[in-house]
Amino acid sequence: MDIKFYDNDNDLISEFYGEIDESNAYLMKSKLDSVLNGKYKSIILDFKNLDFMDSTGIGVLLGRYKKAQDNNISLYIKNPSNHLDFILKTCGIYTIIQKI
Amino acid sequence: MDNFLSIKISAKDENVKFIRSMVASFVSNLNPNVDVLLDIKTAISEAVTNCIVHGYKHQQDKYIYIEVLIEGRLVKFKIQDYGIGIDNVDKALEPFYSTEGDLRSGMGFTLMSSFMDKLDVISKPNDGTTVYMEKYFVEDENA
Repeated sequence: MDIKFYDNDNDLISEFYGEIDESNAYLMKSKLDSVLNGKYKSIILDFKNLDFMDSTGIGVLLGRYKKAQDNNISLYIKNPSNHLDFILKTCGIYTIIQKI
Repeated sequence: MDNFLSIKISAKDENVKFIRSMVASFVSNLNPNVDVLLDIKTAISEAVTNCIVHGYKHQQDKYIYIEVLIEGRLVKFKIQDYGIGIDNVDKALEPFYSTEGDLRSGMGFTLMSSFMDKLDVISKPNDGTTVYMEKYFVEDENA
């Protein structure tokens, strides 16, 4: 699992790679927390190259959403696979984080 | 012809990926499409993570027991731990219910039941938890 960050004017694009589960959820959390400091007001989570994520990753997203809200940051989700799209829908993520 | 797999593996989070990949490889003889394999991988990942996080509370010297039985195109999965068990299984099966705080979505069982045709959870406090799941592999016309 890796997350690569790209500065795009006021947005930050974060590209996810590999597989996210219990073994690296904490890494995902700390990497995202490092950019949820208020410098960027809009952060795009790009899942195009993410091969797998289970509900542990969903739990991390829920926590990061709360932190983003506290810091007045908008999160967006882009390019989930069909399978991940179903998981995100089932877990109600799109009611709090918009898919673009 | 039936086909059977049984493994005992350390309840370590670094093994979750190996377990879901191994189970997916074992059932790939049935020529499932990519989506079905992802369904299996996700359900197994959820069940095994529950053993590590909830059953054993991250005690890494414990073991998870996994069995997969292929009967024709029906696949039966059994994931068992000898951890602390679940007080109230009905409650645990509810969407968004979690006993833990941050990092937990409470959606593990909901996803297992979404991706499988059948889910049964047998648990007894201080005795452990066994998750039984079944999935019927429809013949893939494109395979």
